[in-house]
Amino acid sequence: MPSPVPVLRLPRGPEGLSRGFAPDGRRAPLKPEVPETPESPVVHECQESQEQRARALLRERYLRSLLAMVGRQVSFTLHEGVHVTAHFGATDVEVANFYVLQLQTPIGVQAEALLRCSDIIAYTFKL
Amino acid sequence: VNEWTKRGPLEWQDYTYKEVRVTASEKDYKGWVLTTDPVSANIVLVNFLEDGSMSVTGIMGHAVQTVETVNEGDQGVREKLMHLFTSGDCQAHNLEDLEKRKNSLRKWLEKNHIPVTEQGDSPRTLCVAGVLTIDPPYGPENCSSSNEIILSRVQDLIQGHLAASP
Repeated sequence: MPSPVPVLRLPRGPEGLSRGFAPDGRRAPLKPEVPETPESPVVHECQESQEQRARALLRERYLRSLLAMVGRQVSFTLHEGVHVTAHFGATDVEVANFYVLQLQTPIGVQAEALLRCSDIIAYTFKL
Repeated sequence: VNEWTKRGPLEWQDYTYKEVRVTASEKDYKGWVLTTDPVSANIVLVNFLEDGSMSVTGIMGHAVQTVETVNEGDQGVREKLMHLFTSGDCQAHNLEDLEKRKNSLRKWLEKNHIPVTEQGDSPRTLCVAGVLTIDPPYGPENCSSSNEIILSRVQDLIQGHLAASP
């Protein structure tokens, strides 16, 4: 019979109605203000929400592909034709850095490493 | 920032499920587009190998030089790509089984003093504290919420529940 888990109370929850999102955390640039004519507000609205929906779908699929990569052996193609393999750990939200384990480099194995996205051209893994 | 990264989400989405050839830093990559990350413009390509396995390649957005469509689409490939990486729980549960799982989980959550309601058609979605939903088959990966704290807490609870009573 599983025993109830005690509830962990964190020191401070999200402020007010923000739900934890940073007010200036918007990544996609806001569309410039378009002077409204009788027809344009509706069209303008549609375009933006279509874009946002596409953005959300694309991002979700990308995140899931990253999730599927966790713990797997990944081969990275770097500049100058250099290839390294490692076990994928995580990336940050901007996908600017790749946290990997057991990085096999030409000069040895690195237990943990951070690969900068600017150094990477492509990565590949098998399913 | 190159031409590829400047394209918007609608253009990137247009390439999804198509077979493309991508040049990046003088190298060629060919495959079926799974997605393009709107944040980094990284392109994810899938290739089906002869032995039945698949290889997944991510090409960094900053390195992309050209993207050329090779094949507009293939229904069979589209089907495979659509379900790739989606909920790992591919077991088909019958309605009765789902009801049992749902009720069992609901009792467990209520025992942990978490308010649960139900919504939608059978199999019904569980709604926790009005901010998190749990879709069938009610595993930790079936939770949706914009509140990370509650999401993490509920996922742990479900994990514990499944471990104790598989």
